[in-house]
Amino acid sequence: MTGRRSVQALLLAVAIAIPACTAQSADMFDEDEIALILSHGPWPVETAPDPSNRLSGKPAAIAYGGMLFESVELSTDRQRSCATCHQEALGFTDGNPRGFGIAQVDRNTPPLFNMRLNRWFGWDGKSDSLWAHSITPILDAREMAMTPAVLKTRINDTPALARGYRQVFDAPPAMHDAETVLVNLAKALAAFQETIVSGRSSFDRFRDALAADDAKGMAAYPDAAKRGLKLFVGKGRCDLCHFGPNFTNGEFHDIGLPHFPEPGRVDKGRYGGIQILRESRFNLLGPYNDDGLRATAGFTRYVRLTPKNWGEFRVPSLRNVARTAPYMHDGSKATLADVVDHYSDIPEDRLHQDGEKLLRPLKLSDAEKADLVAFLRTL
Amino acid sequence: MQRYLSAAVLCAGLAAASPALAESCPDGALAAMPERMTADGTTVAYKTTPARIAVGKPFSIEVVACLHGADRTAPSKIRVDAGMPAHGHGMNYTPGERRIGPGHAAFDGMVFHMPGTWQIVVDVYDGDTRQRLTRDVSVRR
Repeated sequence: MTGRRSVQALLLAVAIAIPACTAQSADMFDEDEIALILSHGPWPVETAPDPSNRLSGKPAAIAYGGMLFESVELSTDRQRSCATCHQEALGFTDGNPRGFGIAQVDRNTPPLFNMRLNRWFGWDGKSDSLWAHSITPILDAREMAMTPAVLKTRINDTPALARGYRQVFDAPPAMHDAETVLVNLAKALAAFQETIVSGRSSFDRFRDALAADDAKGMAAYPDAAKRGLKLFVGKGRCDLCHFGPNFTNGEFHDIGLPHFPEPGRVDKGRYGGIQILRESRFNLLGPYNDDGLRATAGFTRYVRLTPKNWGEFRVPSLRNVARTAPYMHDGSKATLADVVDHYSDIPEDRLHQDGEKLLRPLKLSDAEKADLVAFLRTL
Repeated sequence: MQRYLSAAVLCAGLAAASPALAESCPDGALAAMPERMTADGTTVAYKTTPARIAVGKPFSIEVVACLHGADRTAPSKIRVDAGMPAHGHGMNYTPGERRIGPGHAAFDGMVFHMPGTWQIVVDVYDGDTRQRLTRDVSVRR
């Protein structure tokens, strides 16, 4: 066989193989499944600046927010910064079941990816904006334990932070009251955090290849992940809550986990979150919302408090989920396999009596569990 | 002076106890609505804004209702809510009412936070008597 004939034979083989791959990928999913898969993209999602934060998207504020994020001057003992618990190498988490500042908190430290897409912030949704939520760890006695008055003095007395403040707010911190300084700093921190966006994943490449009927692109996605994806949008019904490009509905559900951080003490979850939200001076109905029309405050205005909110926690995004162990609001699941086990054998008796009928044990086989984990790892 | 106050309180009490004058059906607005449901002589028509309800996105619903009694009057009150009967939950938000006219109101802040079949529930009141009309709506991801 001559060299030219060898090349021709190879090209023919490839030409035959590609339609076979196309058929394999296309055949694996029916039309409804393909529509559901495509609804998880495209990624990234285009976002606009946050109208409630006049600093959102402003380069000088983003740079200053990044400096604040790394600064120990925001903690009363100068021992920790935001970056102490939100470590980039750990997917902006701390890798622990529950966060630990000056003392241990009740919940798992959430990652900071794609925050601009959130409607509610915190596992209980006690904040309705990223800037308002950025205030909470600064003031929480178990985290940074700061007071607005001390914080103002710290910023004023730390040359780099005072200089940055003047550049962003056109005035030294001394010219503003302590609460205004606190809110201004939180808005700069939010502007910085909004820039933390997860990159395109292996799933995104598969999803786009499926959209484009690109056989080679589809073939590059592991078969186990494809089977896991089929479970995710099918038998598992995972995407009833984890839907859309950010893999979350942004709302709250009770998934049958215990909500006692310690014996005799209850974590009220969303119920407590709504109570805190409504009482907060920093909510979007309050005086610090930079959106004069309060168009951003609709969810806060209409949010409903009901007994079913007890034990509900926010549905987290699944983007970069392989990097953010451990899992759940209390960090009680060490691995993705543990999470899948939970849904496979979900304890229905732990769900509220008047709770959702949506959840039921999936009874997955070992192979199905492994496939689901393989899929989650591609996000 | 005390006598005048007593008389005023008595008048206010009588006014509250008297049935409000029934107002006519908003026939023009009723005809303009794209969606309609009827039960036991009562008609409710509505439209949503935006027209297509997207999962997880807020929308408003404008409702017009008419009680088909002999006099065809507007209801005294309209309430709107929604839920997913198959899941056993309602909305996470309580819609805020904007009264537009007799038997005509809009409700803001509705959010269907999951895909699937939602049931829109409209309660129309004739005094203390409530009539419930429902419509199933399918919401896709």
